[in-house]
Formats: sequence, C-alpha cells, structure tokens
Amino acid sequence: MTALLELEQLHYRFPGSAEAALRGASLCLEAGQRVALVGRNGAGKSTLMLHANGLLRPSAGQVRVAGEPLVYTRRGLLAVRRQVGLVFQNPDDQLFSASVVQDISFGPMNLGLDIAEVRRRVVEAAALCEVRDLLDRPTHALSGGQKLRVALAGVLAMTPRVILADEVTAGLDPWMRRQVLVIFDRLVAQGVTVLLATHDLSAARRWADQVAVMEAGQVVAVAPSDAIFGDAALRRLIGADE
Amino acid sequence: MHIIDRYAYTNAIRELDPAQKGGLALIAIILCLALDQPAVGVLTLGWMFALAVLWARVPALVFGRALLAEAPFLLLSLLGVALSVSLAPLAAPAVQLGPLWLGSSAESLAMATRLFTRALGCAAALNFLILTTPLLDLIELLRRLRVPETLIDLMSLTYRAIFVLLESLQRMTTAQATRLGYSGPWRAMRSAGLLGSQLFLDAYRRSQRLQMSLESRGLSGPLRVLPLDYRRDRRARWIGAALAASLLLVGAWR
Repeated sequence: MTALLELEQLHYRFPGSAEAALRGASLCLEAGQRVALVGRNGAGKSTLMLHANGLLRPSAGQVRVAGEPLVYTRRGLLAVRRQVGLVFQNPDDQLFSASVVQDISFGPMNLGLDIAEVRRRVVEAAALCEVRDLLDRPTHALSGGQKLRVALAGVLAMTPRVILADEVTAGLDPWMRRQVLVIFDRLVAQGVTVLLATHDLSAARRWADQVAVMEAGQVVAVAPSDAIFGDAALRRLIGADE
Repeated sequence: MHIIDRYAYTNAIRELDPAQKGGLALIAIILCLALDQPAVGVLTLGWMFALAVLWARVPALVFGRALLAEAPFLLLSLLGVALSVSLAPLAAPAVQLGPLWLGSSAESLAMATRLFTRALGCAAALNFLILTTPLLDLIELLRRLRVPETLIDLMSLTYRAIFVLLESLQRMTTAQATRLGYSGPWRAMRSAGLLGSQLFLDAYRRSQRLQMSLESRGLSGPLRVLPLDYRRDRRARWIGAALAASLLLVGAWR
C-alpha cells in the first residue's frame, strides 16, 4: 500500500533565521488515519504542515502525495492542494469573505468546478461541519467556534484526502473541541486522513490512533498513542507529566 | 458602523435583490438632483423614510439617527451659502461683528434651502440603501455590473478586514488599559500612538497569513466565489414607478 502523504527528510530554514526550522523531518501518513502531532512550541509542527501543502519549499528532502513527488509549479501546487487541505490556527486568518457561503465556495471555485457542483459541495461541507444554518450570516457575526467550523468547511469543500489541522482546538471549550473532533471522526470514516497538531495531550491520547512527536525540527517518534504515552523518555519530551 | 451593519443584515428586505434596492435609491437620487426643488427633496425624504420603516422594518429611530449623524456636515456647509461675510457694510438683514459684517439675503436663503433639501433627499436615499443592503450585497451588485475584479477584491477584503482589525483594536486597547495606559491625557496619547503602530504591524502580519491560507485553497488570480442568490420582488417595480411619478409630479407642479 502506498502512503497517501510522505514527507521525507525535509530541511528548511526561514529567511533571516539562524536556526533551521526543520532538520530532516520525515512523516508518512496513510489513508484513514487519525494522527496527532505533538511537541513543544517551536519544534516545527506548523512548518512541517506548511511543507505538506506546498506553501513552503524544503531546501532538501521531498514531499510526495500518493507516491507522486510534489512539483512546485502552479499546476503541481493546485494538484497537491486539491488532495491536502490545511486548516489554520486562527480562523480569522483564513476567512477572507464577509459572506459565509462565499468563503466556503472559494476553494471549490478555484478547482474550476461548475457553479452547480460548487453549490452542492458548499452545502455538503457546511452540513458536515454543522454550519448549514450559518450560511446566510455575515462572517463577523459568528463566534470563535463557528468561525473555526466555517474555516474547516472551506477546506473540506475541496474534498481533500488529507486534512492538516494546526492547533485548531486551542481556545475552544470542551464541548466545541469535542464537536470538532467528531467532525474529524466523520472524515476519517470516509477514508480521509487527519493530522492534528495540538498541545492538548489528553485529547491527543484519546482521539489519535497514532501520535507523532516533534522535537527541534525532527519527527523523533511515530507510534500508537499508548506506546508514546507509555514511554517515559517521550512523555518527558512532550511534557505529558507537567 | 455596527448599528448600520446590524440592520443591513436583519431588515425585512435583506434578501431582496440589491439591484432593486439600488435602483430605487438611484431613481430618488437622480430625480432629486435633476428637479432641484425643496418640495422634491422633502418628498424624497418622506418616501425613503417610509420605505425603510414600513417596508424594510428598520426602526424609525435608527433611520433618524443616521440622518442626524450626517446633518452637522450638511449644516456646516450650508452656513457658507446662507451667510455672507464682508468687511464692507452689508444691506439689511445684517449684523456687525467688530470690523466684519455678517449678512444674508432672500436669494442666498432660498439657495441654501434648495441645497439643504436636495442633499437631505439624497442622503435619505443612500441611508435607505445602506440600512437595507449589506455592503457584501452592494459589492456583489458591483461585481454584476462588471466593475474590475481587482477593485471588487480590494473592497471585499477591506470590508472583512475592518471587523478583524476592530477586534484587534479592542483587544489591544484593553491590554493597555489594564496596565493604566490611559490614565492621564499624555499617557493616553502615547498609548494611542503605540496602538496605531502595533495595529499596522498586526494588519501586515495578518495579510501575510491570509495570503498563505488563500494559497492553500488554490488562490489563482482574482478571488472567485459563488454569486449570491436573491429574491426579486415585483412590488419593487411598482414602488419605483410610484416614486418616480410622485417626484416628477411635485417637480412639475411648480
């Protein structure tokens, strides 16, 4: 079985920064997996996700989607973004339109689908994220949790096979967090893979099948969550006992 | 800003096609300007008030407050028309203030009245439009009218950014206030200056993150989104015809 998304030995240094953000980070995701990405602030979780979506280009290493190496051309990038969706930490950074419908429609419109198909996808994604009744509301009238679900719907409307969610449960109350995880579970049931970067270790432990641990620009361990949380050294590394 | 926005999204004719609402306002504005008579201006005001309050169910108070907010600008500019100031003595009615003479005349008063009613009628028409039509729909209308896409994108991003930055502004102000940033006029001035520069940086960083998130959703050229759906109301045509007929009648009557 070929992996859905492979990040192989990625190296990256932000322009103007002395420290490398990624130093040979590798991660391999298969279809229908629930993976939590944990590690300290600055370990490289967000940078890794930006690479998986082609927003950053590694100085060395390779990104492969369904076995195909990522090509950094307009067409190649559109192809990877069709398969790999990225949900950002702050929905206000992602929601660009004052109209909920129009915001969700942005991705599918960029895929060049016809209007009827875009409409269908918007409604489907909105239903999946439980924001159907918000479609006619202005974006600025939504609560934080609602904005997040709209942002998620905007990514899901592109029907990606992998969802990368960067700290999306941070700042949500337990009910809202639960709701977001339930949405992820629905996606996983459809064969989508979800990679969730999080500092919420108890949620990571309960929700994820696999936990990937990042430290200083590398993925130092990937294993079933029981194995990660059962290992004293790894527990210390991710701050599970703090 | 917030109150206008709120009614724009919640009024009874929110769903109505912005072309129809814009058309009504446009008829009123064109006739008001072209006929240029106090009675027409007053009648336009009456029409727009009635449409906003009875048809769109915007509270009369809100409509009145929007007009009141505009009135001072209007009155200030009228002063220059209604009054003349001169160093030489003016014919009555006039008053002397030291070396200056302040006077007025029947013509200038009539001119001021005409200007005032005309501007009031037009302002009322625009208020009707903005109180019943969210900016989003107006932008959508401009899109349909084939306004260049770059302008449309700028407008929609700006409109969204207003609210995002307003939230940042509130957060930052609170953060400064809890550390006594506004205790005393000098400190307040300094804090406000800092706030301004920070807000600029905040907007800049946000724009970079927004660019990334748009790219991750396949941004390529203009921001393409679904056109919005609206309800068309046949009554709007009759209202438009009645509006035009009544204004023309009053205009021709004199």
